[in-house]
Amino acid sequence: MASDDRVVVDFDQHSPAYKAGFPQVSHELRSQCPATWSERHGGYWIITGRDLLGEMAKHPELFSNDHDPLGIRQGYGGVAIPSPVGGTTRGGFLEMDPPEQLEYRRVLNPFLSPAAVERWRPLVTELTKACLDDVVESGAIDFVDDLANVVPAVLTMGMLGLPLVDWVHYCEPAHAIVYTPPNSPAFAKVLEGNLAMVERLAEAMASMRTRPRAGMIKALVDARDDGADFDEGDILGTLVLLIGGGFDTTTALTSHALHWLDGRPVDRQQLLADPSLLDTAAEEFVRYATPAQGGGRTVTRDCEVGGFRFAEGERVWMAYALANHDPDAYAEPDEIVLERFPNRHAAFGLGVHRCIGSNLARMSFKTMLTEVLTRLPEYRCLEEGVVRYEDIGTINGYQHLPAVFPPQSRQGPPVVDVIDAWQERLEHDAPA
Amino acid sequence: MKVRIDPDVCQGHTLCNLAAPKVFSLREEDGHAYVADEDVPADQEELVRKAVLTCPEGAISIDEG
Repeated sequence: MASDDRVVVDFDQHSPAYKAGFPQVSHELRSQCPATWSERHGGYWIITGRDLLGEMAKHPELFSNDHDPLGIRQGYGGVAIPSPVGGTTRGGFLEMDPPEQLEYRRVLNPFLSPAAVERWRPLVTELTKACLDDVVESGAIDFVDDLANVVPAVLTMGMLGLPLVDWVHYCEPAHAIVYTPPNSPAFAKVLEGNLAMVERLAEAMASMRTRPRAGMIKALVDARDDGADFDEGDILGTLVLLIGGGFDTTTALTSHALHWLDGRPVDRQQLLADPSLLDTAAEEFVRYATPAQGGGRTVTRDCEVGGFRFAEGERVWMAYALANHDPDAYAEPDEIVLERFPNRHAAFGLGVHRCIGSNLARMSFKTMLTEVLTRLPEYRCLEEGVVRYEDIGTINGYQHLPAVFPPQSRQGPPVVDVIDAWQERLEHDAPA
Repeated sequence: MKVRIDPDVCQGHTLCNLAAPKVFSLREEDGHAYVADEDVPADQEELVRKAVLTCPEGAISIDEG
């Protein structure tokens, strides 16, 4: 494909070299060119310049998210690079273009605005306290398994309108499909677990007609019954997307922040003392780590944007994570500066595909961080037990983040009781 | 100073509201930003300039008048 003057680089965001080199790899690429070309995965552009990325994101008509594995439309590959092998469905509205994509977002936005999200804060707070209470007597915690996996998962269940206790059925499959490389021996089993999860979701969707529960699933099903042109498979794809987006990203963000704060007692105290610092710090952690590292696009027609010529059919990786370290946009881009502001980061994506759950992520993250710093002010991470995702090219996450602290006595009810009590409340009065 | 948000460019990042909550409000239905009054009070001007710089989409413009 590379026939003109494009800068060709040896690059693959799924490689161990990428993981080892992040975020410095950003500068190696950008110093050559804000748009470089890799021959991996059939060839694709890597967009690392913050301004170029912003300009391209304003043109969804030129850079398509569409995923069309069956070749019904143009056969485009969607947002994953490489596209999944043997797939038959697209990943909900993230793998659609406007105006179709906007129809789904219009139905879901009211659940995810700052005002709507605020109504779930009490659940998140109680649940976070319970997660910590369940481990405080032991003096040891795995921030991933015991907290950051649990809270976003239970919350997502509630927002979807699924039984809260069902989070356990979705948690491991949703994370494993992201952290297990497709070429690893474990992948077949992971795929199996993921298919079982999708099956369960399909059943839940069907049951909304006989036993409706307030939430996002019901809203999508109702919209379809009211005449929205929503394909059943696309609704299912949207639910898988909401689970993936709801679980893995906030887990990753919280883990990064707690890991960075290890051995930084002054920063911990300042974050607790100053809510406005917590606000800017949340944006800074999300910029620095960029849990969702980037998104794939397909060029819809020969075009020139930002001085670069793109050809129809070419694949593009919008490298949010790398653009977030562009020194032209951020002073000292590889430092975490808690009070950094302005901070026009691209970590939630840019343009019409901005992360629909960004407000939920912020609220959950800040609540978990505050509770940990309040309750376990002396926690120390156990470096030998820290496990980051083997492949960070999709989600820059952690599988394990163990820590220890002086044991203390429990103050409130266990997670199971909080979940039961909230289930009871939701049956009568769902927050959204 | 006058401030304006381009509604076609705003995507609901909410950072303007973080910068200047007295000037930028967020819509209940989707969290996209709006200004109730485009005339910026003098004590908010510096914060509004910050909002312009922090908007990831570049959706905010000001007229220093």
